[in-house]
Amino acid sequence: MTEKAKKAIETQRAQTAPKKERSQSTWAIAWRKFKRHKMAMAASAIILCLLLIALLAPWLPVLLPWLAMYNPTAQPTGSDVGSQYFLGPSAEHYLGTDELGRDVFSRIIHGSRISLLVGFIAAFTSVLIGTILGTIAGYFSGQSFAFYTGPFNRAISLGQPLYFASTALPSSFLSLSFSWLGRLVSWGLFYLVLYLVGYISWVLASSGLQEAIAGTWNAGTIFSVAGLTLAWLAIGFAALWGLRGELRIDIDIIISRLIDFMLTVPVLPLLLVLSALLRDPNAAVGQWAQQIFGEAASVFIIITIITLFGWITIARLVRGTILSLREQEFTAAAKVLGLSESRIMFRHLLPNALTPIIVQATLQVGGALLTEAALSFLGFGIQPPVATWGNMLTGAQNYIFNTPWLAFPPGVMILITVLAFNYLGDGLRDAFDPRTRR
Amino acid sequence: MISYTLRRLLQIVPLLLAASVVIFTLLTLQPGDPLDEIRQQNPQLTAEQLKELEHAYGLDQPIYVRYFKWLGRVLQGDFGQSRTYAQPAAQYIFSERMPKTLALSGIALLLALMVAIPIGILSAVRQYSLTDYSITFFSFVGFSTPVFFLGILLLYFFAIVLPEHPINFSIGSFDISWNWPALPTGGRPNIFWSDVTEGTINFFDFIGQWAYYLILPVMTLSLIQMATWTRFMRASLLEVLSQDFIRTARSKGLAERKVLYKHALRNSLVPIVTLVGLAIPNIFGGAVITETIFSYPGMGTAILESLTGKDYNVAMAALTFLAVLTAFSTLLADLLYAVVDPRIRYD
Repeated sequence: MTEKAKKAIETQRAQTAPKKERSQSTWAIAWRKFKRHKMAMAASAIILCLLLIALLAPWLPVLLPWLAMYNPTAQPTGSDVGSQYFLGPSAEHYLGTDELGRDVFSRIIHGSRISLLVGFIAAFTSVLIGTILGTIAGYFSGQSFAFYTGPFNRAISLGQPLYFASTALPSSFLSLSFSWLGRLVSWGLFYLVLYLVGYISWVLASSGLQEAIAGTWNAGTIFSVAGLTLAWLAIGFAALWGLRGELRIDIDIIISRLIDFMLTVPVLPLLLVLSALLRDPNAAVGQWAQQIFGEAASVFIIITIITLFGWITIARLVRGTILSLREQEFTAAAKVLGLSESRIMFRHLLPNALTPIIVQATLQVGGALLTEAALSFLGFGIQPPVATWGNMLTGAQNYIFNTPWLAFPPGVMILITVLAFNYLGDGLRDAFDPRTRR
Repeated sequence: MISYTLRRLLQIVPLLLAASVVIFTLLTLQPGDPLDEIRQQNPQLTAEQLKELEHAYGLDQPIYVRYFKWLGRVLQGDFGQSRTYAQPAAQYIFSERMPKTLALSGIALLLALMVAIPIGILSAVRQYSLTDYSITFFSFVGFSTPVFFLGILLLYFFAIVLPEHPINFSIGSFDISWNWPALPTGGRPNIFWSDVTEGTINFFDFIGQWAYYLILPVMTLSLIQMATWTRFMRASLLEVLSQDFIRTARSKGLAERKVLYKHALRNSLVPIVTLVGLAIPNIFGGAVITETIFSYPGMGTAILESLTGKDYNVAMAALTFLAVLTAFSTLLADLLYAVVDPRIRYD
């Protein structure tokens, strides 16, 4: 048989033989689908470029962002020292100069550092907190913990002697002492709360009674006296009940109620209030924030308050996913194998909920960036000497009638970045969705 | 249904109490108090006199005592006096700021829905067509655009560029020159509702004047919302179109038009109705940025001004009002859901 014939047979065999189906991992399938989503690929390229620019900003050949340009040859007349403010775009200043003569191009580049930093860290912390709380809420839903058992609670139950016998064995000595420590702590906490409630109602009572005696009754006084009576009744009841009873708390109910509550408060106005409070050096909380965060306080304050509202979306998403995963067979199998609850939660359930988290995290970066820009724009975010895209736009808005070109660079940069993150999230969602075929 | 409503109403009470604690605490911790002005204007006041004043204002008491007293007053509708506007804060928010925000955001939401629902339907019906892709692209751009940038852009284009460039063109021998009217860049017309009731100004003039000032802010708000509503409508209709009863309707030979408008559309509007219910609090509170750009005197600017001017009673009144509104509109949205969708039953 000639070489040629051999080759022909081989190629024919290769064509007719059933193709070897290699099972691909989720990630490989996702990557294959993702590559076909053109907008998402373009978006990730843009995000990579932005990240590179932000990281390398100090070493890029741009002017310093805080440097005010001035013309050294100009004769100072009056207050004008030849400052080169409001220059139009030119070869020297690609995007012109702003109201103080600072180079807009370099401010855009240096501003990207803060904007992206806030976006990424705020998204990361909200995803972290949201994921942990959502997982715990979903996993322990409908299953309550005994946080407090009264001193007489176990002693009078029939199981108590058996319980003592089992824990008195040397092998379980540790668990014995541990459970006693836990009960001690829970008693302590219980009576601490009782003490605080008592103290508050005592102060309320004294002021209310003082005014009642002085004859200046008003609604507030009635409230405080009524509150006092109720509080003392509650304390009496709690003290009696605390000796016998036990306190069972469903973590899911607490977290879900917290989420409900956070959804009730108006977000943007409250962000403004929080930011005003934390940034103000005259307020006690403001001083405390300055001490904790040090020099970069304003950046960390923004990240904190964005996180405060950002975890909710993730937590709801994760809670829902975990709730449905919990009912599946593999969870029951893991339980039967005797794995610890934290291991089931974080090694068995959470990886299965990973893809929606990744998608939401991507969208969260864009959202956080937008919130930072909005706060800075309103003057409640990062303060002016530091350049961010948001506060550059505030400056530009004040001079929109004379120098409209100043508004475009920061606005377009925010638009492009947020758009890129939204498209990336969309691409990831399609890529991870088993229903889409691309 | 009634017992469900009652239960939900009972749940709202602790929710609002918690919200009031947060609002009171955050605004009380802010620097500055009602005595600041007195201290500044009367530097000769002695420390003792100041202490007396503090006692009179209840500032020497711990914060929780002040909270309960505040709550007592709030339940009677008294949010205290606004220093800046020299009238009761609640009255000021209700009569001056709320109607204006309601007009701005309400019109914007209506406009957005009126445009977004047909576009969303079009996008879903022609899924994966060029129309769909371009609508999707524009709605992506729409909800990625920061409101403040869009506002500035519209302000620049419609109030600065267009009025400066009259459009000149000729049709045959007719030379047409059209000047774009110089739209106001912000603020409000100097006429009030009282002018109408007193008869100094015609009702339609009143509406016209206000509409003139509302064009740009409404455009800004509704363009952004349009993008989101288009996405919602598209997703909702696609979800319904993929369901079995649509296939049944098609296979029994109904006209596509009938399938779409009689079977699919009605069902796809159910989640939209709920989302509109949830958007009610945004109608009142969500326009902070738009109002700031166009210096429109609504609730958002009231909150901002009260923060910068340290006139916290106004912010407290506005935020409490928003919290109450959100709580009730969430309930309303859930109830609406049951009304629109007979499959849902609350027991």
